[in-house]
Amino acid sequence: MTLLEPADLPLAGIPAPTVAAVILIGGVSFFCYVMYRRIDLLRKLLPDFRFDDIGTRVRMLVIYGFGQLRQPRYLGAGILHILLFAGFILLSLRSLTLIGRGFSTGFHLPGLTGTPGFVYESLKDYTVLIVLAVCIICMIRRAVFKPARYDHPGAAGHENEAYVILGLVSALMITDMLYDGSAYVVHPEASAAYLPAAALASAFMSGANPALLERLHIGGYWLHILVFFGLLNYLPISKHFHVITALPNVFFAKLHKGAIKPVRYGVDDWMSMEECGVGRFEAFTWKNVLDFYSCADCGRCTDNCPANAAGRKLSPKMISIKARDYAYEHYPIFGPAASPGDTKFVGDVITEEEIWSCTTCGACEQECPIFIEYIDKIVDMRRYLLDRGSLPQSLQKPMQQVKKKGNAYGGNKAKRAAWAKDLEEIEVRELKKGDSADYLFFVDSCGSFDPRIQEITKAFARILSKASCDFGILGQDETESGNEIRRLGEEGLFEQVAQKNIDAFQERQFREIVTFDPHAFNVIKNDYPVKFPVLHASQLMAQLLKSGRLQLSGDYLQGRVVTYHDPCYLGRHNDMYEDPRFVLGRVPGMRLREMTRSFSRSFCCSGGGLLLWYESEEEKERMGEKRVRMAQEVQAEVIVTACPFCLINLEDAVKTTGNEGKIEVIDLVELVDRSLT
Amino acid sequence: MNIFVLAEHRNKQLRDTTWEALSAGKKIAADLGSDVTCLVLADAVDEMADKLAKECPKVIAVEDARFATFNSEAFMKALVPILKDRGPFILLMGNSNAIIDLAPGLSVVLDAALATDCFGLEVQDGKPLAVRQVYSYKVNTTVSFKDSERIVITLRAGSFPYALADSESGAVEKIASPLGDEPLKKRFLNYLEAEKGDVDIASADIIVSLGRGIGDEPDMEVFESLADTMGGVLACSRPIVDKSILPKYHQVGTSGIEVKPKVYLALGISGAFQHVGGIKGSPLIVAINKDARAPIFRVAQYGIVGDIYEVVPALEEKIKALKS
Amino acid sequence: MDIIVCMKWTPDTSEADLAIAGGGKDIKKDDLSYDMNDWDRFAIEEAVLIKEKTGGKVTVVTVAPEDAEEMLRESLARGADEAFHIWDEAMEASDGFATARLLAQFIKDRPHDLVLTGTLADDNCSGQTGGMLAAMLGIPVATLASGIEVENGKVKLRRELEGGLYEAIEMDVPCVISVATGLNEPRFVSIRAVRKVASLEIPVLELGDVGLDASQVGSDGSRVETVSMSLPPEGEGAEIIKGKAEEAAARLAEILKEKGGIG
Repeated sequence: MTLLEPADLPLAGIPAPTVAAVILIGGVSFFCYVMYRRIDLLRKLLPDFRFDDIGTRVRMLVIYGFGQLRQPRYLGAGILHILLFAGFILLSLRSLTLIGRGFSTGFHLPGLTGTPGFVYESLKDYTVLIVLAVCIICMIRRAVFKPARYDHPGAAGHENEAYVILGLVSALMITDMLYDGSAYVVHPEASAAYLPAAALASAFMSGANPALLERLHIGGYWLHILVFFGLLNYLPISKHFHVITALPNVFFAKLHKGAIKPVRYGVDDWMSMEECGVGRFEAFTWKNVLDFYSCADCGRCTDNCPANAAGRKLSPKMISIKARDYAYEHYPIFGPAASPGDTKFVGDVITEEEIWSCTTCGACEQECPIFIEYIDKIVDMRRYLLDRGSLPQSLQKPMQQVKKKGNAYGGNKAKRAAWAKDLEEIEVRELKKGDSADYLFFVDSCGSFDPRIQEITKAFARILSKASCDFGILGQDETESGNEIRRLGEEGLFEQVAQKNIDAFQERQFREIVTFDPHAFNVIKNDYPVKFPVLHASQLMAQLLKSGRLQLSGDYLQGRVVTYHDPCYLGRHNDMYEDPRFVLGRVPGMRLREMTRSFSRSFCCSGGGLLLWYESEEEKERMGEKRVRMAQEVQAEVIVTACPFCLINLEDAVKTTGNEGKIEVIDLVELVDRSLT
Repeated sequence: MNIFVLAEHRNKQLRDTTWEALSAGKKIAADLGSDVTCLVLADAVDEMADKLAKECPKVIAVEDARFATFNSEAFMKALVPILKDRGPFILLMGNSNAIIDLAPGLSVVLDAALATDCFGLEVQDGKPLAVRQVYSYKVNTTVSFKDSERIVITLRAGSFPYALADSESGAVEKIASPLGDEPLKKRFLNYLEAEKGDVDIASADIIVSLGRGIGDEPDMEVFESLADTMGGVLACSRPIVDKSILPKYHQVGTSGIEVKPKVYLALGISGAFQHVGGIKGSPLIVAINKDARAPIFRVAQYGIVGDIYEVVPALEEKIKALKS
Repeated sequence: MDIIVCMKWTPDTSEADLAIAGGGKDIKKDDLSYDMNDWDRFAIEEAVLIKEKTGGKVTVVTVAPEDAEEMLRESLARGADEAFHIWDEAMEASDGFATARLLAQFIKDRPHDLVLTGTLADDNCSGQTGGMLAAMLGIPVATLASGIEVENGKVKLRRELEGGLYEAIEMDVPCVISVATGLNEPRFVSIRAVRKVASLEIPVLELGDVGLDASQVGSDGSRVETVSMSLPPEGEGAEIIKGKAEEAAARLAEILKEKGGIG
């Protein structure tokens, strides 16, 4: 016997191809309409040119889009996702084939006939089983193990979305198996080893009479088609929009890490603009909203957010979800855009607490498999808040001091180089206008005025002197570097301080700027509108050690276990993981033990620059304290870092966790200084 | 020259500022060879007047229900006619929060010169000089009065120690209230306890502040007792709040409350950055800590390196001895 | 409601190292940066908050040298509607009384329901301007206000007394209120916010414009004169008191007594 094929069997008297055509046209039209609405919103938003450096973008798309390279950072979930993603790609051909079979029996995509067709058929059958298995595992994970990162605190109505989609995908697989399995009962085309899904399904149907088999065959087919178009149309109205937008989102990813976006692309005179920053939803750029569309709610960002871990009211994932909910609600599929009413996007949807809680450590962006950006959005929302006069009280004073005195410490400008007087054996040269030196040592305000950080400043001067480097400082002509000023949203002040430093740089000759503060390093390297060659102290020390100009001996560590804390602005924002470790490797007696969270997974100490002054009300355990506990997990006796603010925060945390005398925190520069020959 | 001392009261009790002002008044009266007169304006004045008469040779008492609380408008209206007719004068008062409302306006209406918050009084060439602090309380200054016949001076609490002598039997002159019937433009409604907690460290002049160095299970009585003896309030750094030893409204620092006391005694406080940021306005910081390298010593003017539980009880003993 | 805020331009001395100058009668001010008196920041904020609630106009005024324009501009950025800059060389060295007289002179002919000042200024630490001003204008005053409510032509406020006690009082308008720090959370003023008010004109009023003569201001119009200034002795960092607990405590107790640390 043979089974009738779908295209040959009219449904309720209507020829099957007509039904198929109606479903196809209906499904595709509706999908196109929804996509049009979604893209139309993007078109109305602010510009952001993301078509530069196409080569890099294509590479990103291949590596992180199709290659899914960031997925395995969460190994289990990552593998499941890669399997699903591969399955989707493979099975999309199958779905096209099946749509064709509604019109013509035995339809095959061009090229998928004969042996290639059979190979594909077999591959598809394995894929169906794998995808079905993955769906079942995923549902069990969610239902039984309930990973916290899948929660949606602060936004209702998302609890079942994942089940709906997993259910629909499973239904696709099962209906396919019904369609193929029923045919397999009647005519086993190949052995079960080649067509396992069909064979497995047929086992359940082997006893069925021909009429029932026919119904399962035809029913499975039409259900598959319906589920397929249902799923297709569900994507752009749910979190599963990422299935469509993730690849473009990776292609359009931000390429310049460590830099903050301008207030508005294409507008130089932002000061005269009516609005500044993002207060209403419509002030986002199209890429910002593409990010919101693309978020798959996986929660990896929040899972790695130190502010969230410390109990602050910030969850990067929920920013995307709440913003997407806002977009779907106010820009509905049917009808005109809804008025925002009394709801303030910044203030009500995204609260001030969330916005100020961020340390801009970049852990969320590092983790996101599809490169959703958070820092620029946070900074844009801060720009808006600050423009309206809202800045946490604790940050107002240091900000005011920068405005008045060029440093957050309120120190007298004339005393910026006062630390140098403590160095008896070394003369530190203050470079006047027109002077030159090989290295311009940028001390920054922290190194000039904070008594603890001055120790690093002095240590670094000793190292430079020991290595016979020709170096000088700016002295009075130096101004706060401005990394956090920009990140806190005070763009006007940032422009002022940046310009002062740029002027000072341009009035002197030097080969490279060198600084031990990663925040200063980052802002000069990535944010200053004029580019200067700039080194972090760890880079220069690595160079000096490699060239033999610096040699280390002594036994400062005395066999203690050392761990290295990667500063956010050195590691994640500037990919400098190896130079500090190279320098560490040269310190005599080094026993380095890495923490679980190291390299790009490093855990922020709670922020540098002006953030040193900010403390959140909601914190349960401070980030620095959490970090010290992580160091304790590897029995570290010494925490080495390469950032003065990490040093301050961790030293404080060592005391508050009762580890005084048990754990020493030291800056890499100080460690090298103490190990000088 | 008459030296007048205005008695301050709250809840029908004379406040300590009264005795301190009297002590200053006696000192300057001796230097100038003049008399001291206490002025007391209250709703029920007799008992207070009697008390004052035991310490001061002359008391002027005025009774009026409108003096029940220290309403500056009522006091000013009454004091002007009383003082205007009595020749050259120096009027001394405590620099309390109640009197800050009164003294400046009174000086204007009396055509008098005013020096507030003085911690020293001198007489040079027969003329009074006042010593006070300026520029964030970091600089001492001596000021003189162009017209030394009409002077109003308010005095910093704690600067003129007093001891009740019970040695006088002063005359009490009771005069009728000069207040007319016209309604006051400023009206007392009621007293309020601070909402935030039982103390307001932001306005305290003397703060005994505790840090992690007091240990995990501190003997709080030791510190409470010291604070009492010093006439100060207890405050703390963040770890003490974290450990729920003291409530949040005691926390000093950039994330807590910024304070500007005249004396800040830091016990077991290491001087974390955020904490020091909250006390920078204090002109006198004294630290006791077992760690000689604690950063608090960099901002303190005086320090003792030692065990808190040894030093603090000893300190309290000594202060008690000095007070009596 | 017409609100006039009087503010002071003060050197930031709280964290600076100070030195005596001016023939021992003042401190060296060349290196000091000047700013709006901290207490006045709360006064202007409160004025703007009241205006936002009840409507009206906020006017700021200062008696200070040219540089203080920066402070007036900042006040405009904070939400004040107009600013006036009173200055004349003759006003140099005015004491609290002479300054209050200038301010009273400015205020008396303008509509004023509420005059706000900070209770203290960080330079003189006197706390007298508000009270003097009120007496000169013949209106009531309250200082150290830590909560202000305006309703039906009356002002209800809360003022701090010592030891965690507050008093609630009511005043008729017009009146003067000198505010305490912490009364509100002053807004932040960005560079852009100041830029936005850069073109507003700030009239400068000289002696004649205010209607006083030279004998009424400056040191001639003052009632108090500085005889001398000196820095209390202090070392670099803490002077560590040596000795056993007993001895050190005894020495410290003496120091505390000397410095008014025993209330």
